[in-house]
Amino acid sequence: MTDLIKPEILKGTRDFLPEEKAKRDYVMNKIRGIFESFGYDTIETPVIEYAKTLLGKYGDEGSKLVYSFEDNGGRNIALRYDQTVPFARLVAQYNQELPMPFKRYQISRVWRADKPGKGRYREFYQCDIDLIGTTSLMADAEVATVMNRVLSGLGFQNFEIQFNSRRLMNQIFSELSIGEKTVPDVLRIMDKIEKIGAEEVRKELRLFLDESIVDRLLDVLLMTGSNAEKLEQLSAFDTTEVQRFLETAAAYGVPEGALVFNLSLARGLDYYTGIIFEAVLTDVEIGSVAGGGRYDNLCAMFTKQEISGTGVAFGFDRLVLAMDELGLLDSVKLNAQVMVMNFEETLSESLELVQELQAAGVNTEVYMESAKLSKQMKYADKKQVPFVVIYGENERDSEMVTVKMMKSGKQIEVPRAQIAAYFTGFDFAQL
Amino acid sequence: MKIAIQKKGRLTEDSLQFLAQRGYEFEDSSELIVDSRCGRAQLLKIRDDDIPAYVSRGVADFGIVGKNSLLEKSEKLNWVEEMDFAQCRVVIAVPEGSGLNSLQDLEGLRIASSYPAITKAHLKKRGVCAAVIEVKGSVESAPELGLCDAVSELTQTGRTLKEHRLVEIEEVLQSSAVLVSSKFDSL
Repeated sequence: MTDLIKPEILKGTRDFLPEEKAKRDYVMNKIRGIFESFGYDTIETPVIEYAKTLLGKYGDEGSKLVYSFEDNGGRNIALRYDQTVPFARLVAQYNQELPMPFKRYQISRVWRADKPGKGRYREFYQCDIDLIGTTSLMADAEVATVMNRVLSGLGFQNFEIQFNSRRLMNQIFSELSIGEKTVPDVLRIMDKIEKIGAEEVRKELRLFLDESIVDRLLDVLLMTGSNAEKLEQLSAFDTTEVQRFLETAAAYGVPEGALVFNLSLARGLDYYTGIIFEAVLTDVEIGSVAGGGRYDNLCAMFTKQEISGTGVAFGFDRLVLAMDELGLLDSVKLNAQVMVMNFEETLSESLELVQELQAAGVNTEVYMESAKLSKQMKYADKKQVPFVVIYGENERDSEMVTVKMMKSGKQIEVPRAQIAAYFTGFDFAQL
Repeated sequence: MKIAIQKKGRLTEDSLQFLAQRGYEFEDSSELIVDSRCGRAQLLKIRDDDIPAYVSRGVADFGIVGKNSLLEKSEKLNWVEEMDFAQCRVVIAVPEGSGLNSLQDLEGLRIASSYPAITKAHLKKRGVCAAVIEVKGSVESAPELGLCDAVSELTQTGRTLKEHRLVEIEEVLQSSAVLVSSKFDSL
């Protein structure tokens, strides 16, 4: 006899049992529906790519985290690390076939050879939209609108979409004579302001900037007031981009309070060139749930053609966690709505009933064996099926169906001919 | 200006009177579109169920319609004024002697209604799960015909319920006529 293999999975990967998976699918389908309502189409790229396509695109640290290996044919292969690089490769490869501007959404799994920890996985979902091939601020405003629509559509009531402009920050940096070489460091430190506080940021900036410059920079970063008041204080600079962005987003239905001009928002990567975004929930402590912004030259590694775009990535796992915490997933149900019991004597009539309910749009299953009543009930209970239907010999004779509501245990008789109308009259989300 | 009112029914007389008080008088006519005597308004006489859609789609500038029909249709409209005529209620009623005394007793049972959306919303609010079966007319006779265990229906005086030996156990909605305009207009 061979030895049994211990059933287990790699650290940093996850199994999802039906209940958890139903919640995740519910969230994913909602997000997908919102993306599609704006006319985004989706694409799929392979899980495995040539290693050279992916390596060297994520900085030194990132490249170390790309899962790569030699395949059976001796080719160097890497696993999808994010959705952006394969997307850039695809755009460069199929440029002529794609409409421009090109809008795509993608929800798929990525893999990272990372050390797993809390909220740090080796396998997880990314959930992005990108809108490329246009520099119009309409695109930036649409991304903000999609963010607002997704967050409110998922049921969040308290959130902020913070934004800033890299273009404007560059003006400010140059006004303060902060050299181009220093900018990435300044951005990196700015990014930590939420975490470590203004005073620590001041200390760190002092390491390579003059005190007077640090003071003036912090005055800008810590600016308070409404969006309009902030713009007013920045009147020495060209703020047309921010103004036009705000006007367009407002016209596209983003409520005024939802967009917050945050001058300390940096979003680390020096890859961004225009309006940048980050969404936070103000009633759940979970960090940012979405982030993105405008970039130039998406496909620089693959083609000489310059393609500018903007986009946002939603933190899928965090969204699911936050929704669960706020009770927004409480009404997510498993699929079966009715279970018809199996009795040998009336099996064919019961199967007719099953088909009728399925055709009426009621998710219905039949128990697989003509087992003892208690065993069948136990199964329905464990599967959280809200209704059990009994159609035995007595029911057949009286042309009635016995329905048991599993939560209350209440039993009801419904005429056989009315059974489909009966079940379609329920609001199953409520059960 | 086009004003939609119920062609023939509960709201018709009072709607005409309301308009007359505001200076819009119309000749008694069997035509479906009638000009006002002053020439400033046009009356559209349509089925009350259709009034919300006519107004929200801008075919009529104003409409006079029961709150019950408005809430059932969930069209986006401006509520200009709630008026004090055409008062009635949507109630849940059960057959006399059925032993059903409260909404909770209806858990899992069948409720026939020509107001399924309003009824479902009310059940949800009260946390009761029941099957709402849509019936377009003669709802009050549905229980004795064996189609349902209870009804959720419009009542003004309670006479029809009584005739069918139905007893009210729950009020779902208090309704009266409402003057509505499309989102883009105001009086």
